[in-house]
Amino acid sequence: MEASVRDELLRLFGSKLTREMVLNLETCSRCGLCTPACHAYASLSQPRYAPAYRAEVVRRVYKRHFTAQGRLLPALGEAKPLTDAALEELREAAYSCTGCRRCMVCCPFGVDTQQILSIAKLLLVGAQAEPEILAMLADVSIAKGENIDALKAGFLEGVKRLEAKVVERWRVQAGATPIPTEVEGADMLYVALAGAHSIIPAAAVFNAAGENWSLSFFEAVNFGAFVGDPAKTRRILDRIVHEARRLGVKEVCICECGTAVRVAKQLSGGQPFRVVSLTEVHARYLREGRIRVKKLPGSFTYHDPCQIARNGGVYDEPRLILGSIVEDFREMSPDPRYNWCCGGGGGLVAMGEETLDFRMRSSRVKADQMRESGADVVVTACENCHTQLDNINTHYGLGKDVKFLSSLLAEALTDR
Amino acid sequence: MSAMEFAKEIDLRNLPCPMPVVKISKGIKEVAVGQVVKAVTTDPGALTDFPAWAKTSGHQILETEEAGGEVSFFIKRLK
Repeated sequence: MEASVRDELLRLFGSKLTREMVLNLETCSRCGLCTPACHAYASLSQPRYAPAYRAEVVRRVYKRHFTAQGRLLPALGEAKPLTDAALEELREAAYSCTGCRRCMVCCPFGVDTQQILSIAKLLLVGAQAEPEILAMLADVSIAKGENIDALKAGFLEGVKRLEAKVVERWRVQAGATPIPTEVEGADMLYVALAGAHSIIPAAAVFNAAGENWSLSFFEAVNFGAFVGDPAKTRRILDRIVHEARRLGVKEVCICECGTAVRVAKQLSGGQPFRVVSLTEVHARYLREGRIRVKKLPGSFTYHDPCQIARNGGVYDEPRLILGSIVEDFREMSPDPRYNWCCGGGGGLVAMGEETLDFRMRSSRVKADQMRESGADVVVTACENCHTQLDNINTHYGLGKDVKFLSSLLAEALTDR
Repeated sequence: MSAMEFAKEIDLRNLPCPMPVVKISKGIKEVAVGQVVKAVTTDPGALTDFPAWAKTSGHQILETEEAGGEVSFFIKRLK
């Protein structure tokens, strides 16, 4: 590694050293409680997947370059210089972690390994060694934001084609638009994903609840966050923030995409609108009696998306929804705070076939949990989780159905 | 129905996010520079995603065709 590159990477490293980060880097007592907490370790029993080991890959570079002891006596405390080999270790550590933070809730000190690994991802971005697919997807999102005026017409045509399917689920009053867009003064801006499955059921439920809403031109997912690039994360999020401010909405509702929910909630900053997940909005409609539902047959379990539940605190709302629409609900984990990650977060699902083998091998514990639930249908509220659970279902031959919570709620709508 | 000739057709119907863009990005590399790929999608978001992808990746959308709720993009590999 050239000295100028290393210096720039160390500058990036230094930019991440907030007080909180330094506490995370200097607190680990090597007790090992995090080790069995990681689904990858629990499934594969390989030390490199122990969260403390992954964090140690970053910590050693920190010790070598940012502590007096590491600079003067690097052999003590196993300090390690930032080299090409170290960068490769950082890549392995960063992209075998899904950022689920199950290790953090099992750590007696609450050491945030995911946050430590955000240093690794930033260094990979600085070295232009980040996963090509994720960087490409982030660039596409940014280009979309820069050219949205030229692209709007195409999007509106695509949305128009979905309207009949929305009305099939829930009729709208004569003259009303089943999928409204560009509604200035709407109460809610709904930010979906590119696929029809992310728009149709949500639109039907909004219309059933009599919501004054508007569909965003942008997709909710933030690939800048997956790739760990703070500048791109901000630019992708700002497209939505600017649209919400322009329309003057009171609330921004993020679709069933865990990362999108976490990023929008945690990074939007002080705004004249609040950010909520689709699951929270749906639970509110049920609490307020704004929609009527019927019970669906079959047995159901729920997979808590880590970014919405463990990292976002949304545990009760999906259970309220399922309690309203199914007769037979079976918890997947005795304590939802410790539900296993699906194994597909952190950008792994978005990397597609490239990560499929690791994703399947490292999710054996999730497959066991799905099987042992005894439910016919596994429900979730995150696109990434849905794809991964579907892959697990096929790979392990579980014979389940995997469904989105919003689709199930739209199915349960009734006017009686 | 478009009369445009293409070297490869890629089925992107009903795929989860972000697979349409991931698969077109990989699929375009499977034809020679100058050849055309036909990508068929049901994604409303593809109508903004694909032009943005073509712009960042340096390929050219020659034609977009809609039929029966599906949209086909004819994309020429330029590099």
